Amino acid sequence: MALAAALRRLAPVALGAFPRRTTAVTLGCGSRLAGTRRLSAGTQPLRSDNKVTIHFINRDGEKVTVKGSSGDTLLDVVINEDLDFDGFGACEGTLACSTCHLIFDEEVYKKLGRVTDEEMDMLDLAYGLTETSRLGCQICLTKSLDGMVARVPESVTDIRQSKDETA
Amino acid sequence: MAVLYNFTSACMKNFGGSSFNRQLFCVFRTFHKSAASGDVLGISEERAITPPDVAEETRVKSLREMPGPSTLANLIEFFWRDGFSRIHEIQLEHSKKYGKIFKSRFGPQLVVSIADRDLLAQVLRTESIAPQRGNMDSWKEYRDLRGRSTGLISAEGEDWLRMRSVLRQLIMRPRDVAAFSDDVNEVVDDLVKRICVLRTQQSDGATVLNVNDLFFKYAMEAVAAILYECRLGCLESEVPQETQDYIAALHLMFSSFKTTMYAGAIPKWLRSIIPKPWEEFCDSWDGLFKFSLVHVDKRFAEIKAQLEQGEEVRGGLLTHLLVTKQMTLEEIYANATEMLLAGVDTTSFTLSWATYLLALHPHVQEQIFTEIMTTLGPGRVVTANDVQHLPLIRALVKETLRFFPVLPANGRITQDDLVLGGYFIPKGTQLAMCHYSTSLDDENFPEALDFRLDRWVRKDTTDHVDNFGSIPFGYGIRSCIGRRIAELEMHLSLTRLIQKFHIGLSPVTDDVKAKTHGLLCPGAPINLQFIDRE
Ligand code: HEM
Ligand code: FES
Repeated sequence: MALAAALRRLAPVALGAFPRRTTAVTLGCGSRLAGTRRLSAGTQPLRSDNKVTIHFINRDGEKVTVKGSSGDTLLDVVINEDLDFDGFGACEGTLACSTCHLIFDEEVYKKLGRVTDEEMDMLDLAYGLTETSRLGCQICLTKSLDGMVARVPESVTDIRQSKDETA
Repeated sequence: MAVLYNFTSACMKNFGGSSFNRQLFCVFRTFHKSAASGDVLGISEERAITPPDVAEETRVKSLREMPGPSTLANLIEFFWRDGFSRIHEIQLEHSKKYGKIFKSRFGPQLVVSIADRDLLAQVLRTESIAPQRGNMDSWKEYRDLRGRSTGLISAEGEDWLRMRSVLRQLIMRPRDVAAFSDDVNEVVDDLVKRICVLRTQQSDGATVLNVNDLFFKYAMEAVAAILYECRLGCLESEVPQETQDYIAALHLMFSSFKTTMYAGAIPKWLRSIIPKPWEEFCDSWDGLFKFSLVHVDKRFAEIKAQLEQGEEVRGGLLTHLLVTKQMTLEEIYANATEMLLAGVDTTSFTLSWATYLLALHPHVQEQIFTEIMTTLGPGRVVTANDVQHLPLIRALVKETLRFFPVLPANGRITQDDLVLGGYFIPKGTQLAMCHYSTSLDDENFPEALDFRLDRWVRKDTTDHVDNFGSIPFGYGIRSCIGRRIAELEMHLSLTRLIQKFHIGLSPVTDDVKAKTHGLLCPGAPINLQFIDRE
């Protein structure tokens, strides 16, 4: 049908305010929340000087060092680098969940940029909240954040699992 | 839309929500005849569970040991004393009497109620990737019958996740929704005009009778502007007859829907004997779908015409969905239908309550007015970007929803075995999350019965309220997808109303109490005066 073809051709046209994203979601991989993944499509390969180094400390206390591009969010980095933080980023960066909760050093925290009201509201509901907590999906990388450390807090599930193990 | 509360199509036997008809009562009688004697009552379905081995002092208790009202007491409460409209109050009474976690039984359905913010947090934080609210069989059955798709409310599992992934990328991020600011503001213009017309019809020249009627039209118009990318004309003075018929039909549908949503509670085999609820259920859905079909098809035809003319296609949500084909046309119909249903009553009730509370608390209203004057002055129209500078407006919406959480209880079906508050809850248990109780609990909100905006105003960005006590839109991946749209509609309209009018109680308004009619709604008409500032 001609219309369908025309529409398909049109798909790349910018539509109002909507960011275009390709969403690939898998379900049923057994682990909690971990199946939700967003793949940012069409990301231009960026020059290496736009790269920012981030050290994540995972829930086992291990350091994972990766590079992200300026302008990406920390959630983008976790997804692009395929970091396996169980349950991280469940709502795909749409400010509905606070599972992308990260904890920073005081100095880094101050450089992270403005916190919106909506982020604060979701942070209120984050598990293990600290004074230097932020939501990873709301933090955009800039050159000045190069070398930053971001700690993934324990999740409720972790606590329960470790209790189960000791029991 | 009573619908959401209908976590329940099936478990509504319990918390239901609106006036049950007599026929249903018969059904319940049959359910209970067999169970009416002895202590088999209520425990037959609680599987004999051996809780996991744990240390003696932290012994996990079984459901059998969980306190709760007896089935008979529940029956009397709900049917004899019409508990359905007081469900929110009963929730409060039961949580006081039986504690923060208790079980109730409604017919064959066992429900574990949770009225504790930490337990709620535990449930919601450990959700799986596609949480379930309740049994949606009757919704699905209708859709299968008519060859329609499920939408976000009724879909489950992979279908749900796929549609949710598409839609949340369009209408959940605050900055994406802020793009609708001008569209919503046009509807607010009409709301203000309509108020000015309506009040001239009263002898005092100030009163608007039954403000919910007005806010219903506002919410419907605003949601349609976003969802259907068109104006319906609900707020016009000279509403074209055609549109009037439409509004009337929709009103009827919304109200009849509430009384028929329980159709699903009646076992299929009884339908030949009591056909009416199921028929009305289907009729209501037919009407709701028809409305969306008309508007989606209209937009689709426009796009087609534009393409044939070689024009560039520009548009919002619907255009995006139609052009990118991330969902099928049937899925678009279904989601447009379910979102309209979810988005109108919820928002209008909250606006009615908010303006009522403002009228009851003139001092608070003055504070907000002062904030608006400082930030915007008397004439500047508020936009989405201004809201961050209006903390009291945000607080007003939060405090209103704490007082009157539109969804006084919500549901979840557990998808794993879990230990909750010391009890072993087997997979597949229907939970009722008692938001009304936690919102009005002094432990969560000191002097909970006081209307106080300062609870929500932060001193700085590290000032946090650790609180699952009031989560009127839910929390997590299955929370309200229309939250940001609803907030935008409410922030923009409330700011404008307070900027323009002094809102006062009309002498013809009594003390208005909440009643549950699916949603927590005003139990009597709220009549308010809108007096020009200056
Ligand atoms: C004051 C206004 C509103 C309130 C208080 C409200 C509240 C809620 C709540 C409590 C839920 C259930 C969440 C859960 O189970 O965790 C929900 C779901 C939902 N709401 Fe809202 N809502 C409002 C307005 C809207 C609007 C304007 C729309 C549409 C544009 C909307 C669309 C939906 C949909 C589609 C769902 C089902 C989501 C899913 O299952 O994925 N709501 N809402
Ligand atoms: S991913 Fe859900 S809030 Fe950041």
